[in-house]
Amino acid sequence: MIRAENLVKTFGAVRAVDGVSFAAPDGVVTGLLGPNGAGKTTSLRMVYGLMKPDSGSIEVDGVDVVSKPQAAQARMGVLPDLSGLYQRLTPREHIRYFGQLQGIPGGELEKRMDHLIEILELKGIADRRAGGFSHGERAKVGLARALVHDPQNVILDEPTNGLDVMSTRAVREVIRHLRATKRCVVFSSHVMQEISALCDRIVVIARGQVVAEGSAEELTALTGKTTLEDAFVALTGVQGEAA
Amino acid sequence: MKWGAIGVVARKELLDSSRDRRSIYVLLFSTLFGPLLIAFMLNQIAGQEKAAHEIQVPVVGGQYAPVLVNWLAQQPGVEIAAGPADAEGAVRERKSDFVVVIGKEFAERFRDSRPAPVQLFSDSTRQTTRAKVRRIRALLGRFSAETGGMRLIARGVSPAVAAALKMDDVEVSNAQQRAATVFNIIPMFLILSAFTAGMQIATDSTAGERERNSLEPLLLNPVPRWQLVTGKWLAAATGAFAGMLLTLVVTSNVLSRLPLEDLGVRYHLGREEMGVLVLAICPIALLAPAIQMYLACFAKSFKEAQSYMGFLVFAITIPGVMSTFYPITNRPWLHPIPIVGQYAAAMDVLGGNMPGVLGLVGGALGAAGLVVLFLALATRLLSAEKIIFGR
Repeated sequence: MIRAENLVKTFGAVRAVDGVSFAAPDGVVTGLLGPNGAGKTTSLRMVYGLMKPDSGSIEVDGVDVVSKPQAAQARMGVLPDLSGLYQRLTPREHIRYFGQLQGIPGGELEKRMDHLIEILELKGIADRRAGGFSHGERAKVGLARALVHDPQNVILDEPTNGLDVMSTRAVREVIRHLRATKRCVVFSSHVMQEISALCDRIVVIARGQVVAEGSAEELTALTGKTTLEDAFVALTGVQGEAA
Repeated sequence: MKWGAIGVVARKELLDSSRDRRSIYVLLFSTLFGPLLIAFMLNQIAGQEKAAHEIQVPVVGGQYAPVLVNWLAQQPGVEIAAGPADAEGAVRERKSDFVVVIGKEFAERFRDSRPAPVQLFSDSTRQTTRAKVRRIRALLGRFSAETGGMRLIARGVSPAVAAALKMDDVEVSNAQQRAATVFNIIPMFLILSAFTAGMQIATDSTAGERERNSLEPLLLNPVPRWQLVTGKWLAAATGAFAGMLLTLVVTSNVLSRLPLEDLGVRYHLGREEMGVLVLAICPIALLAPAIQMYLACFAKSFKEAQSYMGFLVFAITIPGVMSTFYPITNRPWLHPIPIVGQYAAAMDVLGGNMPGVLGLVGGALGAAGLVVLFLALATRLLSAEKIIFGR
């Protein structure tokens, strides 16, 4: 369960995030939808505790992120916007490194690692060095590394951005599996199809503010449009004219 | 939170860098370069000393002074050769190391017991011929003194009358101290090897993490930042220490195989001296990676970090340069000053003066203080948003 209240973050004169609030319950996939530069990544960085909000508060399973970032991070699995690998380590070593940093005991860690390699279809490359991996392979290793401690809350910043069809399917499969096991999933994208294919609830962000919130049907009904894409244009465009 | 994360991070960084061919090459190069350079230089010096004992003397106008030429030819290691027509030109164009030119009026003046003209052409800017020129000058001086002495005896005067002074050179340094002046360069190479051997891990684990975008995922683990930094530092310090130790072992082996007797120096590093030397300089292996990590945190890429490291290497050679005009040996109060202290302590060991326990502890404490300071600064940098996200 993640709850963000009135987040504000400014960089110099730019108000990148200007009062964003949303709640992401367990067992639900919450999508943050917005054009590039809308403030999705900055909002998520504050949620996972690497950026301090100028004002506002964030709670993860009732733990205050601003005052206890590490306790909150232990409850989160995060795939950041840019998630690089170590060229000279294998996927297995990546997962083991992060598992050890999470404090998972050896035997349990090996079992968890085998499970992640299985569901993310990493078997063929599990013991190859990451140096020559494709974009999709890198993303899957990053995701496995983020999920090693079986977190209750999962934050994915543009996880399918630039992935091929097979990798996208694998990532979607994992997200559905997380929902089925009552995890809280927050997932950002600027791609409509991704959001509509996966998300139960959609938070539309534009110019650092939440402009609408609800299921895909509620959003289309709200704007009087027939497709989510038209609704999205209407929602973010209205904001543009107003500004 | 447990401390176990430090070991996890250190092990991962060591595994990662052990697979990096570039870091292995840097380690080997940095450990072999110093000892090989020292070996080359000492061999050169020894060769010059040896060359001065067997010299070829080009003489122009030898027919005017058979006495002098015969006397020279009888000296051990001297061979007389015909000199070039243009003595000055030959020396200037480096065809000859030096040329002895005997004037036409030599025979006449010599017979009359008047100073007979001899010219010695040489080029004092040429380092390599200095020893030979010194030898021939000394030989000519001796001929002059011996002949003069015999003339005085022939006139019933003791040659002692003509010698107003009796010069005795008394050398106060012992053989090991003289060796230390030749080996001044060794402590500098040991210190440099710590900086070069630890650099790869220190920069790859900081600037490298930023460059490949792996810093953000790493910081999302529930581990205090200081533990991440300490683990990375531990790995880099292990590399630096290994490099330093390897340099020392290679240097010691190379020196024991060199013909140091030709230089008139005795050189001996026993087990005890080696042990104290390692103790004296190991603070550098801890300090170097801490400074490097702090600097590399500012860099967005490995390459940018390496350009900072260049300045650092330049800065740490300053104590070595300083020591050539300000003597730093036998000054225990220098020991707590990081880097300068280790340099001074190493010079003392090589010069045959073992630094006391107090000096070693002082040196270690001074360096430890700086290590803590730089690691704390690096930890602060790695918590700053503009470092984590600044690209």
